[in-house]
Amino acid sequence: MVVWQLLLGASLLAAWQAGASAGVLDKFFFSRPSDIALRVWQMCLTGAVWGHLGTTLLEAALSFAIGVALGVACGFALARNRFLAALFDPYLRVANSLPRVVLAPIFLLWFGLGIWSKVALGVTVVFFIVFFNTLQGVREVDPVVVHNARMLGASERQLIRHVLIPSALSWIFSSLHISIGFAIIAVVVGEYLGAAKGIGYMIAQAEGVFDTTGVFAGMAILAGVVLAVGAGVDRLERRLLRWKARDSQAGGESVS
Amino acid sequence: MRFPGYTAVEGIDLSVAPGTFLSVVGPSGCGKSTLLNMAAGLMSPSAGRIEIFGQPLEGVNRKAGYMFQQDALLPWKTVLGNILLGPVFAGVAGGKAEAEAREWIRRVGLERFSHHYPHQLSGGMRKRVAMAQTWINDPEIIFMDEPFGALDLHTRMRMEGEILKLWAETKKTVVFVTHDLEEAIALSDEVVVLTAGPASRICGRYPVNLKRPRNPMDIKTEPEFSAVYRSIWRDLRGEVLKSYERE
Ligand SMILES: Nc1ncnc2c1ncn2[C@@H]1O[C@H](COP(=O)(O)OP(=O)(O)OP(=O)(O)O)[C@@H](O)[C@H]1O
Ligand SMILES: [Mg+2]
Repeated sequence: MVVWQLLLGASLLAAWQAGASAGVLDKFFFSRPSDIALRVWQMCLTGAVWGHLGTTLLEAALSFAIGVALGVACGFALARNRFLAALFDPYLRVANSLPRVVLAPIFLLWFGLGIWSKVALGVTVVFFIVFFNTLQGVREVDPVVVHNARMLGASERQLIRHVLIPSALSWIFSSLHISIGFAIIAVVVGEYLGAAKGIGYMIAQAEGVFDTTGVFAGMAILAGVVLAVGAGVDRLERRLLRWKARDSQAGGESVS
Repeated sequence: MRFPGYTAVEGIDLSVAPGTFLSVVGPSGCGKSTLLNMAAGLMSPSAGRIEIFGQPLEGVNRKAGYMFQQDALLPWKTVLGNILLGPVFAGVAGGKAEAEAREWIRRVGLERFSHHYPHQLSGGMRKRVAMAQTWINDPEIIFMDEPFGALDLHTRMRMEGEILKLWAETKKTVVFVTHDLEEAIALSDEVVVLTAGPASRICGRYPVNLKRPRNPMDIKTEPEFSAVYRSIWRDLRGEVLKSYERE
């Protein structure tokens, strides 16, 4: 499958390259894959990109960490407490339906041009994704498994540790894939709208001088980072969710 | 027990002598699981009370173990991890708990599978893990809800034999729910028949005086067994037919 996926990507890039070289696509507006690759390479060599990338990654990592921590904590709290869940429900829905971009200028005012206004924006995105998934994950726990643990003598804390968290983990993980991507997008948007550093700032600068190659180069770097981080999450997930039946694992004594 | 819009069981007065093996049979959906859940303290009756050794039951029944009708192992724990749960919850020290768990893994014959996850085991193996998981806590009462309902006939007879062996070794009070009358007679000292739902009641109690030790593989062909079977089936048959009509 990977071969086919790579093939598709390569042919799309080739078509773009051919189109731009033949003049079907205007190089000014569309740039060219070879130019973009060259630009990325140059930026890496001169080291111009590392400071920006570092800032963006730091912001994304902070907003991801804070968002996940808050989301998991609140998700558990509300899943275990019907009253709180009912109380907060409408507010959470409203808050979640708010387009986050409109918050960016406000956060700029509140937290300044530095990294924290971007982190705040990222947190508002990550939090809701993780929160709703945790809530769902804890609620979907098989009641028979909970009953079994209770009968075996589990206290409320042991129940959370041995049953609810592991059971919610697969939901939380599925949300991590999405929320990592969104964390990066959110901080880049934040940078784009007002910052002194970061990939988003870099793209905004390039756009300011109609440097399409620069814009695409920024996007290419972002895409690479998202792919790499996603692969990391995949590996972590495979380790932590080893107990799940997988189709590819059917063999030996697995009968089910 | 009244659920919104449905009364499952009503007016049931059932006492179990300590150390006996009692089976409850009844048509599907009559409220057998509901009865066990109430006795285990997982739901409280809408009217009436449960007493355990003379004490009114509040909250989860700490004196009881429960083998559920459905698969109830923790899928994210290995065989060893699942069997360790009881000791871990009770705060037994790591080394001692593990030694106990290993002993139980040996007793149920799963030494080679102690690091397998439940989805890598056959149905019979999962039931054996559940058995060890329940028994390791050494509860005074054990509830079993159609524990072998999902197993094939041969595995089932083997498991019945294993249950009888365990019970003979430990002499616990067992309440065993099943819809299979043969299984009920083969295992128990007494069989209780419930009427068809809704508002199921006790239809009759039948002592089973077959000699022990029994071998569930052979007992079903003996003449005494058939005699007991016929006398109980006369009553159960009527309830099963009623439950069909009501569907
Ligand atoms: N939470 C609930 N709400 C409403 N009705 C319920 C609920 N739980 C059980 N019932 C009803 O109560 C009746 C008894 O259910 P129960 O599971 O105890 O039956 P059972 O005798 O164990 O059946 P089976 O042999 O199929 O396992 C059923 O008709 C079921 O539909
Ligand atoms: Mg049942």
